Amino acid sequence: MKKRSLIQKSIYAVITIFAVLVFNYLLFRVLPGDPLSMMMRNPKATPEMIEGMRQLFGLDQPWYVQLYLYFKNLLAGDLGMSFYFKQPVSSVIGARIMPTIIMVGLAEVVAIFAGIIIGLIAAWKRGTRIDVATLGFSLVTYSMPTFWLGMVIVVVFSVNLHLFPTSGILTPGMTYQTTGAMVADYIRHLILPTLTMSIVLIGEYALTMRNTLTDVLSEDYITTAKAKGFDNKYILRKHALPNAMLPMVTLIAINLGLVVGGTVQVETVFSWPGLGSLMYEALRARDYPLLQGVFLLVTVSVVVANFIADITYSYIDPRVKE
Amino acid sequence: MKKNKLLAWILALLVCISLAGCGGAQTTEGVNTFRIGTTTSIDTLNPLSSYMQVGFEVFLLIYDPLVRYDENFESVGSLAESWTSSEDGLTWTFNLREGVIWHDGEPLTSDDVKFTYDLMMENGLGYMYSSYLTGISAIECPDEKTVVIKTEEPKANMLMNTTPILPQHIWSEIDTEELELYTNASPVGTGPFKFDSSSEGVIKLVKNDAYFGTVPAMDECVFVSYSNTDTMAQALSLGEIDGAFNIGYAQKKQLDADENVTLISGEIPGFTQIGVNVWTDPASKGNPLLKDKAIRQAIDCAIDKQKMIDMVYGGEGSVGTTLLNPGQFYHYEPTAEELRSYNIEKANARLDQAGYMDTDGDGIREASNGSKLEFSLITIADNSDEIKAGQLIVSDCEKIGIGIKNETMDDGALYDKIISGDFDLFIWGWGGDIDPSVILELLTTGQIGANNEPHFSNAEYDALFLEQATMMDEKERQAAVFEMQRIAYDEAPYIILLYDNNLQAIRSDRWTGFKQIPAETGLFFLNINFDNYINIKPIVE
Repeated sequence: MKKRSLIQKSIYAVITIFAVLVFNYLLFRVLPGDPLSMMMRNPKATPEMIEGMRQLFGLDQPWYVQLYLYFKNLLAGDLGMSFYFKQPVSSVIGARIMPTIIMVGLAEVVAIFAGIIIGLIAAWKRGTRIDVATLGFSLVTYSMPTFWLGMVIVVVFSVNLHLFPTSGILTPGMTYQTTGAMVADYIRHLILPTLTMSIVLIGEYALTMRNTLTDVLSEDYITTAKAKGFDNKYILRKHALPNAMLPMVTLIAINLGLVVGGTVQVETVFSWPGLGSLMYEALRARDYPLLQGVFLLVTVSVVVANFIADITYSYIDPRVKE
Repeated sequence: MKKNKLLAWILALLVCISLAGCGGAQTTEGVNTFRIGTTTSIDTLNPLSSYMQVGFEVFLLIYDPLVRYDENFESVGSLAESWTSSEDGLTWTFNLREGVIWHDGEPLTSDDVKFTYDLMMENGLGYMYSSYLTGISAIECPDEKTVVIKTEEPKANMLMNTTPILPQHIWSEIDTEELELYTNASPVGTGPFKFDSSSEGVIKLVKNDAYFGTVPAMDECVFVSYSNTDTMAQALSLGEIDGAFNIGYAQKKQLDADENVTLISGEIPGFTQIGVNVWTDPASKGNPLLKDKAIRQAIDCAIDKQKMIDMVYGGEGSVGTTLLNPGQFYHYEPTAEELRSYNIEKANARLDQAGYMDTDGDGIREASNGSKLEFSLITIADNSDEIKAGQLIVSDCEKIGIGIKNETMDDGALYDKIISGDFDLFIWGWGGDIDPSVILELLTTGQIGANNEPHFSNAEYDALFLEQATMMDEKERQAAVFEMQRIAYDEAPYIILLYDNNLQAIRSDRWTGFKQIPAETGLFFLNINFDNYINIKPIVE
């Protein structure tokens, strides 16, 4: 029974990824404009050179041949050649993936912990001033424009307080005596983008946590537990939290999938050389193969994260097990 | 358990903050590093396939051409020490400098020059540079230090050929098919700077102590790419970087007020223009009324360009007239009679005289056949400056009875429309060069379907274009180029709105010895001249 549903889910996941791939591919081809026009709109470019470029990237072929070749190469693990960087898409993405994972991964961890704690306090102190304050905080940060928040953080922490550098990943031009010095420099650069990213995420977690926990706390079994004379902390830990965590798992899984692509704004403000800023660059340069590569990565990570959430669900929620 | 974790976090944060306190933006001791912020990142380090601004800046410093431009944009010897040209102007002999070595220690020979030029000419690669080589028919190397270049026609821009010379011993190893995709991860040149590293949007160069010319005063030159101009301006104010180019108008006030920063606004070759569809071919889908130059001239006359510069471009830029920039030797300034400065009455009179009257009283003029003077103006969707400029044009043209409908689209879509002649008017820009041929060629008949956006065709203009390219006498060439600009200005296939400026800055509390090139009107960086990179030196406290 369980094995069958696992196989079923895997098949769905593969179908989803395939459908998104085809959709992405066609989406970019439907967009108006020649992908090479940006690159070649130059008073010094001759038509022969543009034609040469087109051949180099296989753009002289009919669209269905291009589609066939795309999938054929994809199966062989070849994501194509970036128009802009003139390098294989896989190596361009490979060079940018770590900064994003580190920054957003850290921000997620911070946001999840802080969000759960804030939501928990709010739900427990429901109706009090603390609840109103945390609710207000969550709503404000949740709806805050990321770009603007990033600029405010730069102004406060870099310009006024001189605590952290404005942007980048390492101090440009620095030669490090020790690895430790480099790591320390990396961390100094990491803090502001991570802070921005986690503030953006905290609201969502805190709100979800508060709302589900409030629901759970009004259930009969909580009243029963109270009647039995258990102390509040015990009830919260053993009875309320496990049930309230279910929607959180889904949310966290979806957000982890978005780790890869959901950072365009933060990375742009802080010039953080990750996948988000890469996506932005690729879009500006109309670099379809690179865009498709990044989208593929995002798709796969969202689908895989959901898949894992599905599986985890069946373990932590007895109701789903059947 | 949880308490411990929280404690660990707080501790980690404290450590970081203390590190921040003592760190600052210092560089390695005893080494002075000049860090320049830019808004574009480099696409590739391969000069044959790079087309980004920063790329040229980096190649300018790593590689040497035969000749370079001095601070007045006159050609001076670089790898070539001296040169002569034959009586008929068809044979050029360049004598290379003695003792020039590549960054990897190999000596430079005349074969490297021949190899580089042949590579570009045979494979059509490196279009940013190979266009300088047009007209060269043969290159010979009689000895290690002599290059003889032959042309079929005299080549007026021979000394404007700033193609970087590449090392044969490295590039000849690469298959022809692979050339374009070669990463050139560690470029080797002969220039004043050696390549050190490129990662995470930061390119680091170090000075070449063995350089044959003046060795740079700075030890290291680092290019840092920023994804937005706000952060770049803050970084400059904070001293994280020492200079910057492509600064946004919005940051001008902040940096102007900063006493540690010297901010300049210099003329960058090129312009922003309205392109008018003047294609006479039946395939043209533009409004046929625009083929009448009276209407084009009237529009030009009706646009308040200075107001546009002030309102849209933060006052940075100068009013546009002819094809070449006012700061250049080849710029033609229209006579008082030819000049179409902002004048609504004159524009109205021009239309009246040409017979366009508003007969039905709706505020829009009509031609004698009853068709209205209504045109569409396409602007690029993500260029907010040009969209705003478009709105000003609409209200300006209203005053002379011409109806303009604004339309925005993606630049790729606009490009397709331009190529197929399916437009009335659009706003876009071009970047220029010192050699006037680059911009002048845009309006030649041969470029229709490619870079000749208005589909303009004028036999006299075409003939002069070919002639000027063979005129060895500067004055004579200037006269021909003047005449071409006069024709283009009178015909007005392009209505040049403004010559763009670039905002650039240097931390003058830390560095000295920089200057605008050319003086007064020019730039610190993004020149084909590298004097600032050589001469800027740190202020020793």
